[in-house]
Amino acid sequence: MRSVLKEYNFDWRFWSILDNACKMFDGTPKEFQHTVPYAPAFRETSEKILGLGEPGLKLVKGTARYMENILKAHERGRKIALITYNCSPAILYALDIVPYCLEGLSAFYASTWKMGISESLDYCCEVGFTETSCSGQRVALGSILAGLSERPDLILCSTPGVCDSNANSFAFASAYLDIPFCQMDYPPTLVDEAANEYQRADFRRMITFLEEQSGNKLEPDKLREICEEMARQDELICEIQELQRLIPSPVPGVYNLLLYDIKVLFSGVPEGTEILEAMLAVAKDNAARGVAGDGEERLRGMFFYIDHYCISMKYWRWLEKNGISHIGTMMTDFWQVDAPYAKGREIEGYTIDTGNMDAMIDSLVGQTSRMPMIKQIRGPYDAPHMWLDDTVGVAKLMKADFLAYMGTMGCRNTWGMVKLIARDLEKLDFPTLILYADSFDNRVEPVDTFLGKIDEFLRVRRIRGWEGARWTG
Amino acid sequence: MREEINEAVTTLHNRYVRQWKAQGGKVVGYPCSYVPEEIIYAGGLLPFRLRAVEAQSTSIGDTYFGPVICSFPKCILQLAGEGKYGFLDGAIICNGCDSMRRLDECWRKASEDYEGILPAYFAYFAVPHKVEDYSLKWFTGHMRAFKEGIEGHFDVRITDDDLHRAIREYNRGRLFLQKLDELRIADDVPISGAEATAIVIAGTGMPRDIFNDLLEGILEQIGSEKRKIEGKRLLLAGSVIDDVSLIEVIEGAGAVVVADTLCFGSRSYVDLVDETGDPIEALARRYLNHSFCPRMFGYYRDRLRYIAERARRAKVDGVILQNIRFCDLHGSEHGIFERDLEAQGIPCMRMEREYGPLAEEGRIQMRVDAFLERLRG
Repeated sequence: MRSVLKEYNFDWRFWSILDNACKMFDGTPKEFQHTVPYAPAFRETSEKILGLGEPGLKLVKGTARYMENILKAHERGRKIALITYNCSPAILYALDIVPYCLEGLSAFYASTWKMGISESLDYCCEVGFTETSCSGQRVALGSILAGLSERPDLILCSTPGVCDSNANSFAFASAYLDIPFCQMDYPPTLVDEAANEYQRADFRRMITFLEEQSGNKLEPDKLREICEEMARQDELICEIQELQRLIPSPVPGVYNLLLYDIKVLFSGVPEGTEILEAMLAVAKDNAARGVAGDGEERLRGMFFYIDHYCISMKYWRWLEKNGISHIGTMMTDFWQVDAPYAKGREIEGYTIDTGNMDAMIDSLVGQTSRMPMIKQIRGPYDAPHMWLDDTVGVAKLMKADFLAYMGTMGCRNTWGMVKLIARDLEKLDFPTLILYADSFDNRVEPVDTFLGKIDEFLRVRRIRGWEGARWTG
Repeated sequence: MREEINEAVTTLHNRYVRQWKAQGGKVVGYPCSYVPEEIIYAGGLLPFRLRAVEAQSTSIGDTYFGPVICSFPKCILQLAGEGKYGFLDGAIICNGCDSMRRLDECWRKASEDYEGILPAYFAYFAVPHKVEDYSLKWFTGHMRAFKEGIEGHFDVRITDDDLHRAIREYNRGRLFLQKLDELRIADDVPISGAEATAIVIAGTGMPRDIFNDLLEGILEQIGSEKRKIEGKRLLLAGSVIDDVSLIEVIEGAGAVVVADTLCFGSRSYVDLVDETGDPIEALARRYLNHSFCPRMFGYYRDRLRYIAERARRAKVDGVILQNIRFCDLHGSEHGIFERDLEAQGIPCMRMEREYGPLAEEGRIQMRVDAFLERLRG
């Protein structure tokens, strides 16, 4: 790693950017415009986020607080838990443990600045990772392994049984840094009694681990507060996703990113609720006016695995400027029982019950075991309740014109079956594109190249008379 | 090398399989050392560990799997697509790792294009990634369902007595293999690593009782011979090796592999199944506690102790940590093994390779040469 990158810690740098961004956003538009030239590397990202108005501002402020919590955790006597993105942080908030979501920060780092991302990715390989490991963890993890980030006190991983590459990164970090490790493991089925029993026991084992490591006890009142906030968030998410079904979709595409950011960073805390309320207000207003969230809707695209996070959010800007409504990813399928895609499939959904401690814990079990990826790719993709079922269900509901797959080169699990699901989707008349880009590592396939491939695909397949991208950046 | 061992190692449809089938026996393939062979065997079926030794292309494998997947399951699918696993009456896919578990869907979907390649019995066997009382409970239930699935499909009844007999037979074989290990680590090494590994591999492709009798004779023969194989003493660890040619390349450079921690090696016989009590529970305990593979997350310290202890007992000069490309579980853990074993004074070499015995012979030879040069000082 270049010595210049070691001058400041990664997490501190990111917090500092966010903190300054908050100050910029709090100023007048004129002040903002005058400040932007001093931070050219962040211009496009900050304009994109600022362009969202209230939800964007609240997201930046919330994320700044999230980072500050990490940076100040130790001086405030709190423990930091390194967690996966599909591990709901609600239980950590309830135990007063500071969550440090590896993939969440990887995505933020990758989309915010270029400097040091490749080095952090590569640092993992220098200390032992295979270069074929998932980039989703490596962007942020490299900085932790290099000692350029707050050291976590414990590691909580919720992907064993779901994704080897992901779980392996956390297990590696635990072994390399000698940090206590707890995994939540998932059987290949979702709704049978044996699977439920396993998940319930496993979650309670995890709570014991967290209590031991933090020295804090899970209190019913605190947990209830978190659960009630989570239930409110779930209502808001369902309402936003219901609006997303409209043609044109009144929900800006980048809201999808915000939806899962909120779920992985702010589940059960007011910051998340405030952002969602602001998002819903905008979407409702757009719906009332009959306008698309991104101004125009030429096509509706579903990105049925994950999104792309590198280089100034160009992917999101490209979709918006070309009138492609982003109508969901696997990352936005949370499976609240009231979610629009859960209608008729209620057995697969979860509810929040705050009746007593056990009910609340079971609610969290239900939620966690249905987090993106954990639900869909724990078993064969074509088994009931898994990836194919979910993709087809959402694609039909949201009236997708085309589907695209994008992930990371480290994703053995989905690369092991994506050709098969793509074939099945095509047979069901969904034009489906497999992209070879890496969501977190722009060196694999530069953003312009894969956006060009989407454009070409839409033209060649003549999807809704697509005549080509109008904006290429 | 005995001719019958050699044949079983290099040929999938070997004489034992042919004889078994000629007598009306059924053969069930499985891809991973986490599948309880004892249950298959107790049902009067021949457990056959899936290998990829005869693959000469990955054209079929590449059609169904994505590009960044381990070539081992791709090669197995290739052989299935070419009809070379036509002798299987059943196959069990296991979640040993993500690449391997997707063989389930890829094989099923390939059978839509290649008629008749899917065995009539095709099952998925899942193994938890952690050892807890509740994971053991779940696994025991899953194992019972697995047994019932076999009974139902093959119209057999597997009694506790059948299971106990199978467990004893497999334990007998494991004890013989442990004796083979003891011979390998003697100061005067009487058998090469390639020969020893061939014996272990052969055992996965023939009836266990026949293998055990054969092995008993081999052990006597090794004990009576006065062979002494020279070379730097190595331990071989990492991804699956189902073909001894790779070990022959390593040994051809002037080394002798005296120990291993491979799944077609010591991992498969280092621990026994309890022969008392409920046999399914005993099997579940043994297979779940089998934490030698990095698929069991969070057990790095146990594995480090295991590999370091084996290295010390075998008085090795060095350890080769190899992984097939895209095997991130072994590959990444090797990074920490290298750090921690070197700190204990055990020289290590990490090597990534493609599956296929001699896919990169020249490069592998050069790497091994360089490592041996280092060991020779």
